[in-house]
Amino acid sequence: MTDEIITNQPTESSLDVIQETMDGFLAAADVRAVYGEPIQHDDTTIIPTAEILSALAFGIGSGSGNGVGTDQNPDKPWQGTGGGGGGGGRVLSRPVAIVVASPEGVRVEPVIDITKIALAGLTALGFMVGMMFRMSSRSRSLPDIED
Amino acid sequence: MSVIETEIRSGEARQVGNFQLTPLTRVLKVKTPGNHAGFIWNRPKAVIVRTLDGKEQVLPVTDVTRMAIWLMLAGGLLGAIMIRILFRNRQLSSKQE
Repeated sequence: MTDEIITNQPTESSLDVIQETMDGFLAAADVRAVYGEPIQHDDTTIIPTAEILSALAFGIGSGSGNGVGTDQNPDKPWQGTGGGGGGGGRVLSRPVAIVVASPEGVRVEPVIDITKIALAGLTALGFMVGMMFRMSSRSRSLPDIED
Repeated sequence: MSVIETEIRSGEARQVGNFQLTPLTRVLKVKTPGNHAGFIWNRPKAVIVRTLDGKEQVLPVTDVTRMAIWLMLAGGLLGAIMIRILFRNRQLSSKQE
């Protein structure tokens, strides 16, 4: 009986899946992902632009083992291999501006997301109101030493 | 290979009417050693406009939403700090009286 350890290589299909995923991930860095296809309307052409945020993480692992016999078959050596992997990722896209090309010229019009700005404004207001409550409650709760 | 990379990429020029538009993007790439994780932030930077008579103009693409959000958050933090300083000063002056 030999004691060699068989290393389990990732199968070709799993490598293909990883390669495809990586290709898709790297495609987020392409210029074509940011600038959309031109939209023609009469004399005017509109090109939408967006920012892309892409995050990806994955891991694969494999292992093997062998040994001599079990309780049922003490003389029969056993050997086993296994492998697995997992990963996750997310792609976020948000419109930033539109490029408008007309016979008069080319201009860039910003896309303003009022909802996000309002949420940020509410968060900022929350900071200030929270600090006001904190300071006013502190001034009421702490008596002077003379008292 | 560096862990953090930034680069400015230019795309294919497109002929739109009398103008030739060349898009530019700014890419931030973060990779972990071993290439098991990564992050890409790709955003428009500018558009280079070339007219038929050879004039070139660079139109920057400004993200107004992001600027407004950061301004709001910075204003909120500053406001909170100001409120804290004002309350402290008022407490100190009332104690002295």
